[in-house]
Amino acid sequence: MGIRLYKKPELENPVLIAGWPGIGNIGIIAVDTLRGMVRAEEFGEIESWDFFYPKKVSIRNGELKDLEFPSNKFYFVKTEKKDLIFFIGEEQPTEGGKVYAEGTKAYQMANLVLDLALKFGCRRVYTSGAAVAPIHHTARPKVWAVPNSEDLIDEIKSYENTVLMSDIEGRGGQGAITGLNGLLLGVAKKRGLEAICVMGEIPVYLQGFPLAYPKASKSVLEVLTVTLGIKIDMQGITALVERSESEIERLYERFPPEIREELDKLIYVTYTELTESRPITDEDKKRILEDIDKFFKKDSKED
Amino acid sequence: MSEKQLFRIYKKPELQSSSLVVGWSEDAGKLGPKVIDYLNKKLGGKEFAEIEPADFFSLGGVSVESDVAQFPESKFYWCQQKNLVVLQSYSPRSDWHRFLGAVLDVAELYCHVKELYTIGGMVSLSAHTAPRELLAVANSPGMKKVLSQYEIARDFDYETPPGQRPTLSSFLLWVAKRRNIAGASLWVPVPFYLVSTEDPQAWRITVEFLDKRFGLGIDFRDLDEEVARQNEKIAQVRIRFPEIDDYIRKLETNLGVTQEENEKLVKEIEEFLRKRD
Repeated sequence: MGIRLYKKPELENPVLIAGWPGIGNIGIIAVDTLRGMVRAEEFGEIESWDFFYPKKVSIRNGELKDLEFPSNKFYFVKTEKKDLIFFIGEEQPTEGGKVYAEGTKAYQMANLVLDLALKFGCRRVYTSGAAVAPIHHTARPKVWAVPNSEDLIDEIKSYENTVLMSDIEGRGGQGAITGLNGLLLGVAKKRGLEAICVMGEIPVYLQGFPLAYPKASKSVLEVLTVTLGIKIDMQGITALVERSESEIERLYERFPPEIREELDKLIYVTYTELTESRPITDEDKKRILEDIDKFFKKDSKED
Repeated sequence: MSEKQLFRIYKKPELQSSSLVVGWSEDAGKLGPKVIDYLNKKLGGKEFAEIEPADFFSLGGVSVESDVAQFPESKFYWCQQKNLVVLQSYSPRSDWHRFLGAVLDVAELYCHVKELYTIGGMVSLSAHTAPRELLAVANSPGMKKVLSQYEIARDFDYETPPGQRPTLSSFLLWVAKRRNIAGASLWVPVPFYLVSTEDPQAWRITVEFLDKRFGLGIDFRDLDEEVARQNEKIAQVRIRFPEIDDYIRKLETNLGVTQEENEKLVKEIEEFLRKRD
């Protein structure tokens, strides 16, 4: 179980940015887009067979030639302002059929990622994922940021379009980050590294659909690029957002009118600063989600 | 749990350059468990080791199948006279690489295994009356050469289709290859309507290969009787239910069946075969 390095780049106080698949693939789209735009070069990987079941076998002429596992790769780039290391995992290591990383394997994976980061002198880590929020899909998603140290709160307050847990109505600064995005934050704290998880908002009614939500990834990218002092061309992600919006609109059109009417109230909700009329309550949200669930269960039977 | 505790050895077998045959407990047509049981019975296999389940299986209770509570076991048997080791095991639910490493640790350290064979059934859309062909995948050119001495289909190409995952046998072959242990996975097509019940014909063709490979000297009369009994039962279903006969005839003439016909065929055959004599 370990890391395989193809080369040892000379890096100066690099920042680690890690991404895995999750709800709406928000984090991994943001991190992978950034990696592609800054042309980071692959330089190592975590040997995957100890963490994952293989994903593909190749047999040629009756002989097993290759067994492919979900990839877990490291990339690096030296930009004008900062040196960056990216870690992109194709899957999260899970145990006992759980959806998100949990348990010994997840802890080992988090430590391996940080082993490499520390080896290259990294002191700052970013992870990225999704924040399920009572927002409408036409709204610009905010970015929820969770640091692993109080010292980072002031810095986060300076980020544009970003909220802390304590800014969110009813949370009182509490919450949970599932999977490796959260675990890496904790393990980084244990090992003395600063870490921030930046999570793009996804509308609560879209979380259960197998859809990517690049609109939230774009919000995350906007925060990350400013924080890291990098300028990138947003045309690619903007085009992706446009395509995804058409797809979501088509899906939304399939919702029954009465549900759409209820969900449209979310357009007027600013849950971080509630309006006086409070057009949608938690009870409303619960009922709407149940109605959508029922509708799609019924719909799938009809297909 | 430390590495040393992954498996438990009851007795150290006296074997040199032995071969390992692996059957998975949950297999199409009950191929894995039946072939392993058969080998143990015929060759006087003695249990000598097992892999501890706690690290690899969810132990939050037991599943019940065919009225009986099941427990995930991974047991090794040795057949000294034939220099053979057999493993019957449930497929682990997690930490697969470590589990397969433990299998090969037992095989190498305690049995000096030099080659291994996994057995498995694969779902086929053919009728049970169609001739069966044993397929094999080797993990090295050397093993491919060994297999070339037998009547086995072994020159095909395959890639896991999107949305599916490789079999545990492929994973084991890959781990064995990395440890320089020659290996092959053996596959027998099992008609889809026999996948959940039993397929003695698949058992026979597998045992036949192992008999030739290891010179086991097996008397096949009992297996032939089982095959005949099964064929007779299915013939009865065909007489009693002309609709089922029609579906099987379609498969025999490569016409294929609709989804609805497929489901009916599976249901009727399974129900009939499960009725205890």
